Amino acid sequence: MAENNVENLKKIREAVSQDLLGGRIDLLLGWEKGHYWWQSRPLFARTEEDLEKLTWDSFCAINLSRYLLDELKDFQKVGVLVKGCDARAFNRLLQDNMVVRDRVTLYGLPCPGMLDYDRLAEVAEAAPEGIIEQNGKVTIKTADGEKSADRDDLLADKCRDCIYPDPVVYDQLLLSPVGKKEAPEKFTAIEKLEEMSAEERYSYWEKELSRCLRCYACRQACPFCSCRECFVEQQNPRWQGRAYQASENFMFHLVRAYHGAGRCIDCGECERACPVDIPLQELNRKLTKDINQLYGDYEAGLDAELEPPLLTYRPDDPAAFSEK
Amino acid sequence: MSTAVNETSAGKEPLIVSFCCNWCSYAGGDLAGTSRMSYPANVKVIRVPCSGRINPMFILRAFQRGADGVLVAGCHPGDCHYSTGNYHGRRRLSAFKRLVEFAGFEPERFEVRWISSSEGDKFAEEMTAMTNKIKALGPNRKMRDARWQKIT
Amino acid sequence: MPRTGVFLCHCGSNIAGTVNIDQTIEASRNFPGVVHVDEYRYLCSEMGQDIIKKAIEDNNLDRVVVGTCSPRMHENTFRKAAAEAGLNPYLLEVANIREHCSWVHKDMEEGTPKAIALLRAAAAKVALNEALEAPKLEVEKRALVIGGGIAGIQAALDIAEAGYPVDIVEREPSIGGRMAQLEKTFPTLDCSACILTPKMVEAAQHPNINLITYAEVEEVNGFVGQFDVKIKQKARYVDPVKCTGCGICWEKCPAKAPSEFEMGLAKRKSIYVPFAQAVPMVPVIDKETCLYFRKGRCQICEKECPPQAIDYEQQDEIIERRYGAIVVATGFDQMDPSIYGEYGYGQHPDILTGLEFERLFNASGPTGGKVVRLSDGKPPKKVVFIQCVGSRDKARGMNYCSKICCMFTAKQAILLKEKLPDAKSYVFYIDVRTAGKGYEEFQRRAAEEYDVAYLRGQVGKIFPEGDHLVVHGVDSLSGKVVDIKADMVVLSAASIARADAPELGRKIGINTDSYNFFNEAHPKLKPVETHTAGIFIAGACQTPKDIPDTVAQASAAAVKAVGLLSKEMLQGEACTAEVDEAECSGCLHCVAVCPYTAIDAKEIEERYGDGTLKRTVAEVNPALCQGCGSCSAICRSGSINQKGFSNEQILAEVDAICLQR
Repeated sequence: MAENNVENLKKIREAVSQDLLGGRIDLLLGWEKGHYWWQSRPLFARTEEDLEKLTWDSFCAINLSRYLLDELKDFQKVGVLVKGCDARAFNRLLQDNMVVRDRVTLYGLPCPGMLDYDRLAEVAEAAPEGIIEQNGKVTIKTADGEKSADRDDLLADKCRDCIYPDPVVYDQLLLSPVGKKEAPEKFTAIEKLEEMSAEERYSYWEKELSRCLRCYACRQACPFCSCRECFVEQQNPRWQGRAYQASENFMFHLVRAYHGAGRCIDCGECERACPVDIPLQELNRKLTKDINQLYGDYEAGLDAELEPPLLTYRPDDPAAFSEK
Repeated sequence: MSTAVNETSAGKEPLIVSFCCNWCSYAGGDLAGTSRMSYPANVKVIRVPCSGRINPMFILRAFQRGADGVLVAGCHPGDCHYSTGNYHGRRRLSAFKRLVEFAGFEPERFEVRWISSSEGDKFAEEMTAMTNKIKALGPNRKMRDARWQKIT
Repeated sequence: MPRTGVFLCHCGSNIAGTVNIDQTIEASRNFPGVVHVDEYRYLCSEMGQDIIKKAIEDNNLDRVVVGTCSPRMHENTFRKAAAEAGLNPYLLEVANIREHCSWVHKDMEEGTPKAIALLRAAAAKVALNEALEAPKLEVEKRALVIGGGIAGIQAALDIAEAGYPVDIVEREPSIGGRMAQLEKTFPTLDCSACILTPKMVEAAQHPNINLITYAEVEEVNGFVGQFDVKIKQKARYVDPVKCTGCGICWEKCPAKAPSEFEMGLAKRKSIYVPFAQAVPMVPVIDKETCLYFRKGRCQICEKECPPQAIDYEQQDEIIERRYGAIVVATGFDQMDPSIYGEYGYGQHPDILTGLEFERLFNASGPTGGKVVRLSDGKPPKKVVFIQCVGSRDKARGMNYCSKICCMFTAKQAILLKEKLPDAKSYVFYIDVRTAGKGYEEFQRRAAEEYDVAYLRGQVGKIFPEGDHLVVHGVDSLSGKVVDIKADMVVLSAASIARADAPELGRKIGINTDSYNFFNEAHPKLKPVETHTAGIFIAGACQTPKDIPDTVAQASAAAVKAVGLLSKEMLQGEACTAEVDEAECSGCLHCVAVCPYTAIDAKEIEERYGDGTLKRTVAEVNPALCQGCGSCSAICRSGSINQKGFSNEQILAEVDAICLQR
C-alpha cells in the first residue's frame, strides 16, 4: 500500500472532498495519523482543512462504521471510508436498524490488510521506528538498523484470517479490488480447544478471562454491540455482578459472545481493542462454527437482506442436545 | 475455584434447576405427580410460558448461584403452544449449549428435553436421569459465585 | 417492601403427608417481604378461600403466595378469591407443592426442604409482580370469508344464519370453486352442481351475505375483533346492477380465450361467465383478449346489451371494511404433472389430469358430456388411471398423500363404465386409501362390479404407438411387466396449495407449512384456528381434503367465528410483552421471532441536544400478544420484557431456589 500510498490517498481525497464540499455529505469518517506513526485514528472531517489530515496507510485498522451510531445523530449525511470489515460492519448495523442507508455514503477501500506494531517489534527484535513498504516486503527501521520481512507475516491478527478484504457494500469503489482471499484456517484454534477436556478448557478460560479489567473496550469497538444500555450496566435486573471474579468474568464474556451468535461479522475489533489480549474471537468463532454446522453456512455482514440464523428456524432443524 | 466453594458444596445434595414450559413439560410434571411417579427432590422447577422464553442468562445465573445442573424442558418440536417458540429456542439453546461446553462445562450440566403433557413418565425419567448424571459428575464449581451460598 | 402472605394447603394428607407443614410455615415466615403465614386443610374450599380473603383484608396484604396444587389446576380459583378481597389477581402466585413435590417425593426429609424452596421462589417472584389487566377489545360484528368455494359458502351460510353479516371475497367472477367443476361426487354419485348450486343461490340471496366476486384481498391490518381489510374489486366492465345476465353479450362476442373453468380444454368468449350456473350471473370482460381493449374497436357487446350494462370506463376499486373475524377458504390447485417426463403430460392430448378428465363427463363441458379422446373424438376402450402423480413422492413431488385421488379415480372409473359399457379401466396405485364413510364400499364396487382392474405398481413410461398410448408399468404383486395399449391416460395429479398462498398468508398474518398450506394453530386441538386470533381456516387451503371434511371444517370455522362475534368484548392476554422505549435500540429482532405479528416498528421522537431525533423502537400490540415471551428471550438488552414472567421475576426465582439446597 505504501508504494502507491500517495497516489491512492490523492484519489480518495479527491472523491470525498468533491462530496463534502459539494454538500452531498456533511461529515466524512476517515482516518488521520495518531500520536504515533504506527497508529491511525478516526478522523471526523467537515472541512477541506480537515481533509488534509486524511490518511490511508497500513495502520487504519479501526473499524469506522460503528462511529456512525453517534455521528448520524449530529449529521444528516455522513460519508464513511469502508474497508472489507467496515463494510460488513455497516451491513450488521443496517440489519439491526442502527443506520439509515440513504443517509450514508460508503466509499469502498479494498484493503491489503493492516500491520500490527507488536508484530513489527517481534520480527525486528527491537523497537521499530518506521517502515518502508515495497513489493509485498516491509523494511522495518530500528535504532540498530533495518530488517526486512514479508508483509503477510506482519499483518494484524484480525487481518490474517480476513477473506473479504474488498467491501461487500459501497456507493463508490475508490481503489481497485484486492480479490477474495483464500479461506484461512480460522477455526484451527477452536478445534484445538475442542479437543481438550472440559476441565482443561475451563482452566484455559479461567486463566484468560482472569485478566479481564471489564473495561468493555471489546463492546465499544464491536459492530454487533449496539444496545442503548448494555446488560452489564443495567441495574434492574442486575444481570452482571460487579465483582472481579471468575464467575462474573464468565458471565460477561459468555453473554457478550452469545449476543453475537449468528451476528458476529468476524472483524476482530473486540480482540484488537482488548488491552489485555483476551482471545475473544475464539468465543465468537466457536458460535459461528457451530451455528454454521448446525443450521447451514451463513456469514454475517455479507448480505443485509439474509435473515440471521437465530432469527429463523426450520421445523426439521437439528439440535445440540443429547436427545435429538 | 476457591476451596471455600468446594467446602460449601461438598456432601450436599446436587441442585438441578429445571425451566419447564407451562403447556407441555410443566403439565407433564403435573401428570408425573398425579400418577405418583417419583423422582429425586433435587429437581426444582421454574414455570415459564414457553421454552422459547429462556434467555441463556437465566441458565448462567443458575450456575453462578449454585445449580449443579440445568434442564430446560419444552413441548416437542411441532407441538409448541405458541407454534414456533421451541423452534427458535432449539436454535438458540443449541448454540448456547455448545458455547458453555466450549467454556469448560461438562455437556451433562446443561440439557434440553422435549416432554409433552402426556409424558408424565418421561418427565420423571428425565429428571431422575439428569440427577443421576449430575451426582456422578459431582458438584459444579464452574462459574459458581462463592458468596451466594453464604447468604443463607 | 411488599406485604406478602403465604398460605399453605394440606390438601388433606396429599401435601401434609410428605411435607412438614409446621416447619414449612416457620421457614416461610423468614422469606423477605412475608408478613403473614397461614395453613389450612383445603385452601381451595370456600372456607379456605375465605381465610385468604380475610387475611388480605386484615393484614393489608399486597402480595399472596399459595402453596397448593398445580397452578394449572387452581390458579384461577385463587386469583379470583384475591380479586374478591380487592387485590389485583395477578399479585398472587402459586407454588406447586402437590404435583411437583408432595406427590413425587417419598418422605418429609425430601419433601419439606423442597416445598420451602418452591415457596421461597414464589415469594421472591411475587414481590416483583405487578398489577396487570387483561386488555378489553371491541368486536366488529361482521365476518369476512376469503374464497367462495364450498368451504367459503358453507362458512358464510353458517355465520349468516347465526345472525351476523358476512362478506365473501371471491377471486373468480363466480362463486362455486372446485366443486363447481365436478360432475359427480363420491361416494354417492350425486350430481355436484345439483347439490352445490342451491347453496350458491342461497348464499347470494341471504340477507346477511354480501358477495364480492372478481375481487381479492389486498391488505389486512388490525387484530382480532378489528381487522381492517382492503379488498380490490377488479373492474368487470359490466355494471352488475343493470346487467340481467341475459347472455346476449357472450353469445355475440367474437373473441375467444381458453376457459379457466374447463381447465383450458375449451374456449370461452372475452366477455364471459365462467360456467352456466354462475353466481352472480354477471359477466366480466377479459381485457387481455377483448378486441376493444386490445385494438380499440368492436364494442359489439356494448351495442347488443339490452340494458346497456357494458362500461369500458370501469376502474378497479378498493373496498375498505372492518371485520371481527376472518375465515380463509382459498382452496387448492392441481399440480402440473409435466415435470414427470415419463408420463408425457402436455405432449399428447389423450393424457389428462383427473380434473381435466372430470370435465369430459359434464354435459356443458368441452365435449358436451361425451367421454371421447380429444385427439380424434373417438370413445376410449381402455383408460389407464395413474395414482400418486406428485403425491407421496419425496424426490420429485409432495411428501403427503393428496387424500382424494383414490376416491375420485374410483368414481371416474365407475362413471366411465356407465357412459361407455365397453370401456375398461386400469388403475396403477401404490396403496388404495379409502378411509371415510361409505368409501371402502364404493371403491370395492368399482373393482368388483365395474370391472376396474387395480394394479399395484408404478408406471415407468407412457409412449404413443399408432392410435394408442402404451402404458409400460410393473405389477409389483405378480412381479410382471405390464404393457397396456390404452386409449386415454388419466393422471391423479397431486392436490397442492395455491401458488400465492404464502403471499396471502403474509398479507393476512397467518403462516404456511413447508408445502405452502396454511397452518392450523394446533394439529389436534385447534384444527380451524390459526396462530392469529380471529383468523380461521377451512377446506383444502389447510391440506387436501374431500367435500364432507371441507364442509365440516367450514362449519367448525364458522362456529369459531360466530363465538367470537357474539362476544360483547374480548378479554386479551394479561401477561403480554412491553417495551422500554428509552432502552430499545430498535433492532427489531423481536419482530422476527414473534409468532403473532404482535410487534411493529414505531417511530418516536426524542430530545437530543437542542432539537429532536427520530428513531425506531419496537411496539407491542397487547391485543395480539399471546404472552409466549420469545421476544423477551431474544432481546439482548432486556428492553422488551414479558409481564408476569419478566426477566426480573425469573432471575429472582433462580436466586431464591439456589439459596437452599
